[in-house]
Amino acid sequence: MTANTAIDARHVSKTFSNYAALRDVSLEVRQGELIALLGPSGSGKTTLLRIIAGLDQPDINPQTTVVVDGDNIAGRPAPQRRVGFVFQHYALFRHMSVFENIAFGLRVRPRKHRLAEPALRKRVNDLLELIQLTRWSSHLPEQLSGGQRQRVALARALAIEPSVLLLDEPFGALDAKVRQDLRKWLRELHQRIPVTTVLVTHDQEEALEVADRVVIMNDGSIEQAGSPDEVFHRPASEFVLKFLGNVNVFRGRQFVRPHELDIDRIGYDDGAIAARIQRIRSAGPLVKVELNGETGEAITVELTHERYRQLAIQADELVFVRIKPRAGSEFFVGGNNHRTPSAEKVLGRL
Amino acid sequence: MSEPVWVRRALIAVAVLFLAILILMPAAAVFSEAMRKGFSFYIASIRDPLALSALRLTLLTAAVTLAANLVFGLAASWLIAKFDFPGRSLLLSLIDLPFAVSPVISGLIFILLFGARGWFGPALTDHGIQVVFATPGVILATVFVTFPFIARELIPLMQEQGSEEEEAAVLLGASGWQTFRRVTLPNIRWALAYGVVLANARAMGEFGAVSVVSGHIRGRTNTLPLHVEILYNEYNFSAAFAVASLLMLLAFVTLAVKTALEWRIRAEQRLIEGGS
Repeated sequence: MTANTAIDARHVSKTFSNYAALRDVSLEVRQGELIALLGPSGSGKTTLLRIIAGLDQPDINPQTTVVVDGDNIAGRPAPQRRVGFVFQHYALFRHMSVFENIAFGLRVRPRKHRLAEPALRKRVNDLLELIQLTRWSSHLPEQLSGGQRQRVALARALAIEPSVLLLDEPFGALDAKVRQDLRKWLRELHQRIPVTTVLVTHDQEEALEVADRVVIMNDGSIEQAGSPDEVFHRPASEFVLKFLGNVNVFRGRQFVRPHELDIDRIGYDDGAIAARIQRIRSAGPLVKVELNGETGEAITVELTHERYRQLAIQADELVFVRIKPRAGSEFFVGGNNHRTPSAEKVLGRL
Repeated sequence: MSEPVWVRRALIAVAVLFLAILILMPAAAVFSEAMRKGFSFYIASIRDPLALSALRLTLLTAAVTLAANLVFGLAASWLIAKFDFPGRSLLLSLIDLPFAVSPVISGLIFILLFGARGWFGPALTDHGIQVVFATPGVILATVFVTFPFIARELIPLMQEQGSEEEEAAVLLGASGWQTFRRVTLPNIRWALAYGVVLANARAMGEFGAVSVVSGHIRGRTNTLPLHVEILYNEYNFSAAFAVASLLMLLAFVTLAVKTALEWRIRAEQRLIEGGS
């Protein structure tokens, strides 16, 4: 742990009656970093977040430490840490106006630390401006849309000037368009107010787009932690590879992403495999072609619209699938994490 | 609705007739019997010292009962709705016990516990404390009979609301008391008031359990319902009905408050549904 570590959790385990939600997890978050805890439901990401917040306690173990802002808070009640928490379903105080929701954390301070009313109003109004809801300050939460409510929840958490900001699937209950907007807004907000942020999500796109660093969790353990680029292009395990996007499996051992494959009418003796086109979906930025390989395996290929027009392929046609030369990412043989250095080498074996 | 007109009219007629015979006529009878010997007799019956002392005891009992059940109901609901602990479902069943037990048995329980030959009776008598056949017994029996009302109103609502708002409050730095005062209580206030009204109606009207423990000492341990019974048994019908009309008036007030609260709660529920 170094001076600029904001969160340092070590050897954290959590068992609920007879099921292990976290198995000896360690996580370090640097000051000002925005990290995403990414994983399927039940992977332990929310449990880890709640332990960092102090809402849940880790299993008792002398090795376990949860240091937030230089303070070991394992076994200490929640209010003693300056933590901002945003819930998936907002958890706004339903009987308070937007203004009072945001002001709550300031009003409950012990009297000697409490802001005077004018200073408090200024702080809340600044936050209302930040979330662009000034006009709504006297409305009740139920009069707002989901996206607006989540912005209020964020402002409420920021009002107490937290040392870390914890977001539990903050956009999970919102529809696709609003998610997109809020994601961008969060990114910009973090650039303006660089508070250390941990974002829990099951949406890999969200994690890869928003976070400085992505921590992928599965079954109570951390599978891999790294930059979005790292985890996407150099996945440390089969789970990570599969979780971060569609992937084709050849001979049960070789993994190739759909956009790294190409289709051709002519088969050279270069390892290309013959396949029959089942379905073509051309809506979206890429054309998705679903094929059945010679040995019956399902293959998905993503082509650019330009390449698709050039090929003029149709359903039911017999074609050849090969890995693009100099495909950007590396491939590995699943199970033992042995990575082959470049696409060309695998190409020969395919 | 596809039923023919005559079916609808017949059903309405049956309902109205039923209400008239079972509710309106008795209510009217209470007031007309009370007034039979004239208005001055009515006032005199109510201002009779024994009637006034019964009224005082009833109001005192209701006040103490509500205070006790408010604390108990809130604590039990909070515990059951927001925490998971061993014995939770047992506690939930125990809260319902007074609904399942006959009020007379509820009264007898306290005779068994605190009566002269009961478990704790002799010890209490040695210290000069009398529970049974005294005001404490009346209050205890009433508290017992009415304690499910508030908890039963609050538990489902608190379970539905979950504890995320409380968690949010705590993370924003609120103390336990601040969280309760500013977050939990405002969210349940109407259901709480509703439970209080129901418990109050029962506390003022309770007959069975109180009848067993009170000992019917006039001017000392008689509540209004018991006083009505005594007057009636003495063929003092007009006075009995005059005092009964007091209870009727209390019932009307309860009904009005209850209706107003139901209206508020429905509005609040729309708010929850719209808000989630």
